[in-house]
Amino acid sequence: MISVGILANPASARDVRRLIAHASTVTVAERCSMIQRALIGLARMGVDRVLIMRDHGGIAQGLELAQKNRRKDQPLQWPKLEYLEMEVGGEATDTLNAVTMMCEQECRVIIVLGGDGTHRLVAHACGEIPLACISTGTNNVFPKFIESTVAGMAAGALAVKKVQQELVCLRNKRLMLEINGKAQIPALVDICVTSEDWIGTRAVWRPKDLRELYLSFAEPGAIGLSSIGSLVLPRARELDEGLEIMMEPSSTNGIKVEAPIAPGLITEINVDSCRPLRLGEPKSIRIPKGTLALDGEKEIEFNAEDQVKITLDPLGPWSINVDKIMGMLAKNI
Amino acid sequence: MARRATFQKAINEALEQEMERDSSVIIMGEDVAGGTYTEGDSDAWGGPLGVTQGLYTKFGDRVMDTPISESAFIGAAIGAATCGLRPVAELMFIDFMGVCFDQIFNQAAKFRYMFGGKAETPVVIRTMIGAGFRAAAQHSQGLYPIFTHIPGLKVAVPSNPYDAKGLLIQSIRDNDPVIFCEHKMLYDMEGDLPEEPFSIPFGEANFIREGDDVTIVAIGRMVQMASEAGDALAQDGIQCEIVDPRTTSPLDEDSILESVEKTGRLVIVDESGPRCGMAADIASLVATQAFDDLKAPIQTVTPPHTPVPFNDFLEDLYIPDTERVVKAVRNIVKGN
Amino acid sequence: MLDLNRERLLQAYETMKTIREFEERVHIEFATGEIPGFVHLYAGEEASGTGVCMHLDDRDSIASTHRGHGHCIAKGVEVKGMMAEIYGKDTGTCRGKGGSMHIADLDKGMMGANGIVGGGPPLICGAALAKKTLKTGGIAIAFVGDGGSNQGTTFESLNLATIWNLPCIFVVENNGYAESTSSKWSVSLSGNATDRAAGFGMPGVEVDGHDFFAVYEAAGEAIERARNGGGPTLLECKLNRYYGHFEGDAQTYRPQDEVKNIRETKDCLELFRKKVTSDGIADVSDLNAIDQKVMKLIEESVVEAKAAPNPAEQELLTDVYVSY
Repeated sequence: MISVGILANPASARDVRRLIAHASTVTVAERCSMIQRALIGLARMGVDRVLIMRDHGGIAQGLELAQKNRRKDQPLQWPKLEYLEMEVGGEATDTLNAVTMMCEQECRVIIVLGGDGTHRLVAHACGEIPLACISTGTNNVFPKFIESTVAGMAAGALAVKKVQQELVCLRNKRLMLEINGKAQIPALVDICVTSEDWIGTRAVWRPKDLRELYLSFAEPGAIGLSSIGSLVLPRARELDEGLEIMMEPSSTNGIKVEAPIAPGLITEINVDSCRPLRLGEPKSIRIPKGTLALDGEKEIEFNAEDQVKITLDPLGPWSINVDKIMGMLAKNI
Repeated sequence: MARRATFQKAINEALEQEMERDSSVIIMGEDVAGGTYTEGDSDAWGGPLGVTQGLYTKFGDRVMDTPISESAFIGAAIGAATCGLRPVAELMFIDFMGVCFDQIFNQAAKFRYMFGGKAETPVVIRTMIGAGFRAAAQHSQGLYPIFTHIPGLKVAVPSNPYDAKGLLIQSIRDNDPVIFCEHKMLYDMEGDLPEEPFSIPFGEANFIREGDDVTIVAIGRMVQMASEAGDALAQDGIQCEIVDPRTTSPLDEDSILESVEKTGRLVIVDESGPRCGMAADIASLVATQAFDDLKAPIQTVTPPHTPVPFNDFLEDLYIPDTERVVKAVRNIVKGN
Repeated sequence: MLDLNRERLLQAYETMKTIREFEERVHIEFATGEIPGFVHLYAGEEASGTGVCMHLDDRDSIASTHRGHGHCIAKGVEVKGMMAEIYGKDTGTCRGKGGSMHIADLDKGMMGANGIVGGGPPLICGAALAKKTLKTGGIAIAFVGDGGSNQGTTFESLNLATIWNLPCIFVVENNGYAESTSSKWSVSLSGNATDRAAGFGMPGVEVDGHDFFAVYEAAGEAIERARNGGGPTLLECKLNRYYGHFEGDAQTYRPQDEVKNIRETKDCLELFRKKVTSDGIADVSDLNAIDQKVMKLIEESVVEAKAAPNPAEQELLTDVYVSY
């Protein structure tokens, strides 16, 4: 039996960036629709079973209703949909637990619908299982906006081994984080050190608070904090390097960039220094007190007694290249 | 000769003069200007029968078209009234009270009492009442008794242009919530109308006609029926005293009771229905407080306890007419 | 959030603690049978009302629900008057004529707790319209529950506020239960009100209602946007109530240890205490001193309320009208 997991975060795209910037809203209804499209793509490729978490945010409920209330004159075009047997608390640990179970139950691919933060959590638990990364929301860098039907087909093609993993997947970098010797969940795109005292609503948008930025990659055309890097010294995903950026809002030296740090929000950032970040070289952060934002969300408050180390690492998650897979399915007549 | 104008003009003028005098007076309702955001004319309607036309042109943003969301905009008028504005909201037809009644009877009417005397809600809700327009059951009711029943509301039901202007000006200046009822069949009625602003106090009845033989209490459009009946009966030597309460809350009980004390006979003609309507209310007042003055049973002339029919012949049967008033009087008074 | 200095943080704690102890005490006193009518307790939800109302001043208006004690206290309504009102006494905020569900103080911009679910949003549209028209710089905030977010008045008000660009905010306090019914069922798509704002073209933001700082920050942005003519926002605070819909509700519709678990792991006051003490902004002794001050206030307000006289007989007939 060929199984694929789907991990969809109901709660992303609801934060304060809707208010202070022009971040999009991807409603729960739209996410349900995206998953249904992916299910159709997976079924068509011959995937037998799909595992999904019974979230409290409306997605599982929406899928159940779609199955129950659908028109009866058309067959349901899904693989067998199974809900994971686990406690769901509405916290980040739900994602970790769900992905762990998907791996245990031999899912060959995991389709992820969410932002950078969701992908970060999935990546921490998915081991070697490749991810099909679908962005929900506009403030994301790691996953792209890809159409879900096609993503389902591509993920399905990989799951049933119509294509070979080595040819269609990329091993991503990640940023390891240690606080007082204890490992935290790594970030996939960026770790930002801000001078703010509190996590608050988690979003990062005030330039005067930004101090240090560690990027695993900085692609041109990115939105969000990594655009600061890509406007100074672009670093591709495939490159063995990231970036380390120091910012000092009050200084008059340095390079000024106009960076789109959130949708509809372009601000001037004063980049004091920008250096390549090499694999395996730990960096200690400099400011004594503040917060750490991982993949765009403030998570950790630290002070002078805390030792914070960041290291770029090559063994992040595998992600599938949808275009490449679909290209390999062409008949080429 | 006194200046003559229509009931419709009286309302428009009252609004215009009060809006000139007091910048906190605003108007809101469906199509009160008309044409909002369309590519044609703005101020296109002035309400469905043109009563507020011209006010948008003169006062701009103070005349606000609303979406069809009574509970929101009637509620907003009420909320704004507690916060320093003096809104005049239009509930297009009194028949629509169902979709916003909570905001009127549970909120506006009760703020002052529930909040221990600290709230003032100077809102006016203008609304069309009455049958005769062939507008059928959901656009023809006279539901003012329901508002009259609610403590905390005031209710005005003018019968002529002069009273319409004076009572609307008073309503706007009043610091309590007022339901101002405009009978749609009276808009074209002409009458004396002073040009300058003036107000008529609430709770003061108007004596249309004086007489010793019978008291006829008539409300709204029924004042016309009563007047015509009075003329007809006078031919027969029966002198009717016609009392127009003008406001049902407060009700000028003293005038009604004094008149019955004089005449000993009472006919009430009202277009709101027979169950729990104004006729029943006034009959109860007189029966309990002036029983000893009565020389004959109280007569009520009301529509039947039915919805308003569409067919014109049936609707005309529904509405109390002059002949039924005459008949009611003759039941209790002998002519020459 | 730079304006959250030590003084403001202690003020936030005092407000939340006052609400908590007020409600816990009403819970106890109500069980003795001395308090007439219904009460609906806000305990557990303090961070929401406090985080929002700390940004407001007397120019601003709020309208609340039947669960209104917390909003009243957060908006600055006098506590002793509130307790006396709940006992129906003449010294109450509303002279004993409103009771728990109708406590209001218009001088403080508190337009009332409301016995009608969904009664507040239209009134707040009006308050916001008045402030915009009179250019007072004030804004208006409607608190509704997850249940109230289903009432027609709420939808109409979201639409009206958007098309008139009113300076107002709709705060949906989603505690998961509309009386005894799960909002996961009654609010389509698992009880999320935030997405509804998108349908009106209004920004919708969701925050953890147990986290004072999250509420404070998001509310601050929404309020500033409204004050500066940017229009309305829907802010959904996901939180929990400790007590039933009303006092007397046995809450059998909730899993057995649900409240206990929340009190132990997500209590907004405990989370706040931990954060400010571990950040070194306040000592435990500072907070304990506030605790004592609050307990004293609540005790006095109960003693005084019990001793206060009933309204005089003639008060039955007064204050129906300004003039009649």
